[in-house]
Amino acid sequence: MEAKKLKIMVIDDENIVGKRLKPALEKSGDIVETFENGESALARFDEEPFDIVVTDIRMEKIDGIEILERVLAKSAHTKVIMITGYATVEIAREALSKGAFDFIAKPFKPADLRAIIKRASKELRA
Amino acid sequence: MYLQPAMKSDDNKKAKNFQSEKRASISIRTKIAVSYSLFFILCVVISLWSFWIISTLEDTIEFLVITDNYLAEIQQARRFEKNYLLYGTDLDEAFEYLNRAKKVLNENKKTIKKIMGEKNFQIQSEYMLSYWNQLVKLKNAKDSKSRDLIVPMLREYGGQMVSFAQEFVKKERNSVSHMFLLAKRIPFLFISILLLVMVVFVILFTRQLMINLKRVMEYTKRIGEGDFSPIVSKSKYKDEFSRLADAFNRMTKELNNRHNIILESHKLRAIGTLVAGVAHELNNPLNNTMLTAEMLKEDFKILPDNEKLEMIDDIINEAERSRIIVKGLLDFARESKTNIKPLKIEKIVNDSVRLVANQVKLAKVILELDFDKKLPNIHGDEQMLKQVFVNLILNAVDALPPGGIVRISIRKNRIPNFVAVEVKDNGSGIPEYIQSRIFEPFFTTKGQGKGTGLGLSVSKGIIRKLGGYIHLESSSGKGTTFTVSLPVTDSPSDIMSK
Repeated sequence: MEAKKLKIMVIDDENIVGKRLKPALEKSGDIVETFENGESALARFDEEPFDIVVTDIRMEKIDGIEILERVLAKSAHTKVIMITGYATVEIAREALSKGAFDFIAKPFKPADLRAIIKRASKELRA
Repeated sequence: MYLQPAMKSDDNKKAKNFQSEKRASISIRTKIAVSYSLFFILCVVISLWSFWIISTLEDTIEFLVITDNYLAEIQQARRFEKNYLLYGTDLDEAFEYLNRAKKVLNENKKTIKKIMGEKNFQIQSEYMLSYWNQLVKLKNAKDSKSRDLIVPMLREYGGQMVSFAQEFVKKERNSVSHMFLLAKRIPFLFISILLLVMVVFVILFTRQLMINLKRVMEYTKRIGEGDFSPIVSKSKYKDEFSRLADAFNRMTKELNNRHNIILESHKLRAIGTLVAGVAHELNNPLNNTMLTAEMLKEDFKILPDNEKLEMIDDIINEAERSRIIVKGLLDFARESKTNIKPLKIEKIVNDSVRLVANQVKLAKVILELDFDKKLPNIHGDEQMLKQVFVNLILNAVDALPPGGIVRISIRKNRIPNFVAVEVKDNGSGIPEYIQSRIFEPFFTTKGQGKGTGLGLSVSKGIIRKLGGYIHLESSSGKGTTFTVSLPVTDSPSDIMSK
């Protein structure tokens, strides 16, 4: 059965992250949109909910934790994957306790993120 | 070894020049000994003088007594001479009195000679002898005619003999009263001289002591503020104070070495703080490189050439970005000797800002820069100054809640020949009662384990060492401003040529 296309949002203030992850994640046939700041991402999320949100934690103004909270408040079924610049137990614990699906530490390979997204989509389709 | 004290060789050289070894050695002890010896000599001189006056007086009084006897005898002799001429009494009694007078003269020859002198004694004896001779002639004169010839001569010699002795008595009486007066005055004279000597001694000596002690107090204050430059003893000679100055210089050298160790360990701590930020910062270009390289590999066959090239450029650019981040930290951390030279202050501040960029971002603090144009070069050590500014900015960031503002401005000419760097935050300010302690070593307002309490004390030490000033302005609710003033140099910077 042809799987339903998932809508994935990637947020990172490093523009290369979006630039490289878009083609990498689109290979699975999903729809990928990239954003370089929290405001435009949340504005877009307000227009229509996404299935998966991949967000960097540390950004100016609106950070990843705030995005996590607002996304989940809007759409509880959305899977939020956090990117941390530097994995610490506290940040991971905070993110997970606030309902993040998983987190991935920089630097990572596209394959690592794909594996997490695959798990997330399995849960979404279950 | 990284704990090698900076400036050591410099200080050694300087200290050597300031050593008082070459000065002549006159210790305070010697000065006191010499002063007391002089004082003792003065006492001896005055006592001897006093003794001399009193023994002269003794002699003179003895002389006067003798002369009185003598005068009485010769006056008696003359009386019998007159009686003989007037009433024809016996002349033998005149001879008897003259004999007695002669005896007085002979018995007291020594005393009389001492007072009258040899010559006057001779004259006196001759007068008496002449009178004696005339008297003998008078006795032997048979008739009144020859008697009349002798009498004027006899009277003249007799008169001379008496008046000469009387003159002398008068003179000696005067000298006695004069000497008594002197003897009475000596104690007062002595007291006056003593007073004068004591005043001079007190003024010269205690003034030197007080000046030196005051100077030592100033030195301790200066050293307490972290200025470890060697001190110079102002005394002309090698004395206790110049030895004290040497001891002080040894101490400051030792303190300086320890200060450098503290400086180094504080720097290590700052590096520790910065490393966390840098590791964080480094992950971004690393991640970008990783993602780009992975995708390039994955899609190598399907990607068009121009896109491949763009990805390669991205990889190169991100590697360059990593290089700059690492270099900044290495420049800061690199152990090196103090290297004071003309520097561009704006570059130092910008580099420091770059080093703490991550801490600033993490704390969500806004950093504003406001530099005057055409800033003169300053005189300092690049690494040390970066350490100070990193420290001040991190302190400001620590004091601020998210959204707080740190404003760094560089102003020229506020004080002539100084450039002022202000690090201002809009936090809650430092309470007045701890402001005076803020630069003390190990004083910290941060929680246990968060601050060493060395940052500001080390910063102050560095700035004082570079000939600058650091001060604090803070009031509750209005934030805190640290101002670092650094001396301007006329020499052109050589940073640009590097």
